[in-house]
Amino acid sequence: MMNISKTLLRRGLPQANITSNILLSTATIDDKIEIPKRIPRGPTDILRALESTVGRDPTAAHYKYHDDPYLIPLSSSGKRIFAMAQEAGRKAAHWVRQEHADLFQHREADPVIEAFVPPMVYTEESEVAVADLEKLIEMRQVVDSAVVYRVLKEKNVEVAQELEQGLLELLCYQNCEDGVSEEFVEERWFRQASKGKEFVKKTWKDGDLAEQIFSKMTPKTPESYCAIIQGMSKYRQMDSAVQLFEEAQKSNIPLNTNTYNSLIQSVNMIKENFDMRWSLLADFLTQMKNSNLKPNLGTLNAILYALSFMGNPKRAKEYVLQTLAEFKNLGIEPSLGSWYYVILTFCKERGPVSTILHDIINHLEDKEHQIRDLKDTHFFVTAMEMARHHLNDVALARRIDKLLNYGDNYNLIGDSYKESVYFRHYFALLCDNLPLEEFMNDVYFKLVPHIYVPEVGIMAEVLNQVDVNGAVEYIPKLWSDLIVFDQSHRENLVDCILNTMVNNEQLVTPELTESFAKIAWDIYSRSINEEEGRVHRLNLTGDLLGKILILLVRQKDFEKACKVMDRLDKNQQTIAGVPKIEALALFVDLCIEEKVPSRGIDCIQYCTDCGFPEANSLAVRLHKELNLDEVFLERLTKVVGDVFSTS
Amino acid sequence: MSLVQIRNISLLSLKPQFSISRLLHTSSACQKSQSGRYRITAKRDFPLTYEMANPPHQIAHRKTWNSWNTSNLEGGLRSSETAIEDMFIRKFVTGTWHALFVSEIIIKRQHNIIRVAGIIRRSIGARKIYFLIGYTEELLSFWLQCPVKLELQTVADRSDVIFKYI
Repeated sequence: MMNISKTLLRRGLPQANITSNILLSTATIDDKIEIPKRIPRGPTDILRALESTVGRDPTAAHYKYHDDPYLIPLSSSGKRIFAMAQEAGRKAAHWVRQEHADLFQHREADPVIEAFVPPMVYTEESEVAVADLEKLIEMRQVVDSAVVYRVLKEKNVEVAQELEQGLLELLCYQNCEDGVSEEFVEERWFRQASKGKEFVKKTWKDGDLAEQIFSKMTPKTPESYCAIIQGMSKYRQMDSAVQLFEEAQKSNIPLNTNTYNSLIQSVNMIKENFDMRWSLLADFLTQMKNSNLKPNLGTLNAILYALSFMGNPKRAKEYVLQTLAEFKNLGIEPSLGSWYYVILTFCKERGPVSTILHDIINHLEDKEHQIRDLKDTHFFVTAMEMARHHLNDVALARRIDKLLNYGDNYNLIGDSYKESVYFRHYFALLCDNLPLEEFMNDVYFKLVPHIYVPEVGIMAEVLNQVDVNGAVEYIPKLWSDLIVFDQSHRENLVDCILNTMVNNEQLVTPELTESFAKIAWDIYSRSINEEEGRVHRLNLTGDLLGKILILLVRQKDFEKACKVMDRLDKNQQTIAGVPKIEALALFVDLCIEEKVPSRGIDCIQYCTDCGFPEANSLAVRLHKELNLDEVFLERLTKVVGDVFSTS
Repeated sequence: MSLVQIRNISLLSLKPQFSISRLLHTSSACQKSQSGRYRITAKRDFPLTYEMANPPHQIAHRKTWNSWNTSNLEGGLRSSETAIEDMFIRKFVTGTWHALFVSEIIIKRQHNIIRVAGIIRRSIGARKIYFLIGYTEELLSFWLQCPVKLELQTVADRSDVIFKYI
């Protein structure tokens, strides 16, 4: 109402007066103004609201890269290198600050912002107090807090039991070493920590500070048992973990749910076969029940994790369904991680096809998901893999992709490795099953190169589809992509692209012939110009050179064709294989057209060197079309013998 | 008309003449403004960027300020600190990005963020540029204790930013 009367005021006074009077009188009639309840907002809510209005723009590089043509990465290695280089620069700055800590002691802000101040350095000689230890544990500085703890112990300073427990928990969680700092986002994104399969080796540090603190603790509290058992089973020191668990059972020390979870998760490492593993798992669960512990999401995921690698898939599937039903009754909603394990159990590589993924997606669709378990980030990549390999279902893959792009779900993609595997499966599935035109327009041109750069295998797949469909118009674009992605030296891809260009002659327009000849010449000059020392070097075989020759001949580019022919002729020893006779015949035809018999004779010489029986008929044709004079005829006769007398 | 009258008139008419002659001076004028201007060279081959080609009185007409902040407005805070910090940023950036910046370094402050903008040459690889970006941003943040961001544009060659030769 205010706005309306204001605009009227600007237009003209008399009218405005009337209108505002009317408006005021109407306002008095229904005077009940409903003031909405105040919604409490956080300090970043406005930023979040603004952020929700912008999505990922597939036509631009990720915003962590500088928006400048020179600084935008196009290949997947470029993406990695640029982001990591920037992080390396940041690390250099951290190092400078650390080396010259005395220069960075100024205080600009009040209160002081800790992140800008150089971190304290602790050594054996440092003057430390209990408060330092407390702060370090708070900041999760594992190595530093271990040093401070040792210094405190040497000086016989009393450390409170609670603080010691905190330190023990930290050491057990981190296995006595510092993780990658939260500050270095790119390093966390690009490192391939969870690349290996689930079965990991024992990495627990035997006899390190965690165990020392635990053994010196008197009396040993239930919490300390919980911490050390969880730490040991997390880092796969199962013998000691089980031993301590039994010790705790004997002395009637109550353990918490998470400790049981960690033990359940490692039943596969404790026992040998399915039955023993399952009965041990059931034992743990009954013990939990006897000690009145309520299971949580961790318990569910631990059971599902154990089942997915337990062996005997048939019974494992049964138990998985029972477990899910049981936890549903308990009111525990499975996280994406739980579904990840379910998929793993049901969709085995060598096993019956299971459609459980459909049901899972039905359940998850059109919802925003939060991370609730570390393994939640494995869901999308595995689901897409199964949609491709197990079910080969495009509709399902699209639904998974839709779910991934719903709300903030993209945060659950994990890291760069999982992201690229996800897109590899998505891409390959769509490439195989969609009509090529739809695939190129809706998928390829949209996702490449900023969201996904196809790997060599996928690129070969795409080129293959182009060949099968005879969609030669995409070839120039694909070749320039190959160069940009640094894949132009891959023999199989070059072979593929040359094949497509040669095979689909009837579809090619004059413009395309020209650009194909350019591409062929580009391939040829790249293979020559690449320096010797390069690791990946394109070695053109005779067959590939023959194809290049065909493309150049089609464009009637005699000069360049001659150069290729020379190379074939002069490097017969180093070039593997020989071109097809069709290529050579075409070249001879071009020689005839250009009226250059000497080149033609060289080519026929090459044909006989390679042992093609067609050399004779080529020679006859050359002679017939060009009416060779005596000099040339003599040369030709030397090459192929006297085959002309009959003609 | 009496002689006396004539004398009076002539005196009246001459009096201002005397004062005018006193105001005239014959030495050359000495109020030339020189700062921020470039002298024409004999060969006319001295390159100027757009920024250099416009003298200071064109600020806010044909070019803008190199430092954007509110410290000199009424009620603005930290005006001297801001000036010194800006100088520090300029020195640090020109030194760290040795012979790479081909434009002035623009420093924009909004809330607690400092944005440093400029045009650089492509004489080093993109990877090294990213390293320097990371290093500069982080170290300046540590020094100024607020988020610092670089906003760079690249040009292939120094001649791309030349506006004219004088």
